[in-house]
Amino acid sequence: MDQVEDTVRAVLRDVLSLDAGRVAGFDADTELFGALPELDSMAVAGVLTELEDRLGIVIDDDEVDGEMLETFGALTRFAAGKALV
Amino acid sequence: MQIKAGDRFGVAGVTQRAERCANGEAMLRFGPAQGPTVLAAAALFEEGNRTRALLVEVLRRLAARGIGAALPDLPGQNDSLVPTADARLAEWRAAFAAVAAELPGPVHVVALRGGALLDAEARVASRWYLSPVSGAAQVREWRRVRALGGAADYAGNAIDEAMVAALAAAEPWVAGPLRVVRLDGDPRAADRHVPGAPLWRASEPRGDAALARVLADDIAAWIERCAT
Repeated sequence: MDQVEDTVRAVLRDVLSLDAGRVAGFDADTELFGALPELDSMAVAGVLTELEDRLGIVIDDDEVDGEMLETFGALTRFAAGKALV
Repeated sequence: MQIKAGDRFGVAGVTQRAERCANGEAMLRFGPAQGPTVLAAAALFEEGNRTRALLVEVLRRLAARGIGAALPDLPGQNDSLVPTADARLAEWRAAFAAVAAELPGPVHVVALRGGALLDAEARVASRWYLSPVSGAAQVREWRRVRALGGAADYAGNAIDEAMVAALAAAEPWVAGPLRVVRLDGDPRAADRHVPGAPLWRASEPRGDAALARVLADDIAAWIERCAT
């Protein structure tokens, strides 16, 4: 789980071009979609695809909704659910 | 800025000039006019925009080491006058092969991402790929961008469905001397993993001078090894 969280953090930093220090401060309640102007639809696609590549998972576009992208914790749980099965 | 054929402009002691391919497309040339020559294949469409600064920086660094380099526009890509919608994989491959045949040899391909799908017909001494991607994976990502954005095109690029279909069936060419470099964090097989962020996925990519230096060093060492 920690490894997945580190990966999600790194992917958000790289795809959204966010400051590393800022991303290091993200916790489970940090709001993402709607709160981060960098996270537009194109960036969402980049985040999902980069997560797939780094975690070796496949995300079906049908699974993508506002809820899984709402907070850092939600996105990490979603990714972990895929990576740890 | 419109760059005309024959324009010369120096960058930190590196000779850089604008030339024309036989098909009329622009081609940036760097460094010595004699071989070996690196022939660069940029990443595709939006990814190409996001990584162009990195690629040019790598080619400049190679030129500074005495290795010539060429970065041709392909019909419908970058500054080409051909509309994006008219870009076709078969024409890109033929154009790329034609440039390879005209450059001073030995010619070594350096391709980023989907650029590795373009050199299948080029007769070259070796291939060096950064994070090569299959056409199927590339197209899947484009479709995802289009679906999430609710747009009719692909991240602002009006790519014809014939081009999309041809790319979807394309694989990186892996025959002959080949070196694959990927970034740390990418678990797929490679000859080497290097530190750096995937600029092709970054909304607002920053330059990465450290990555450019590492890549240029790796390419120069690879070309030297190919010669022995």
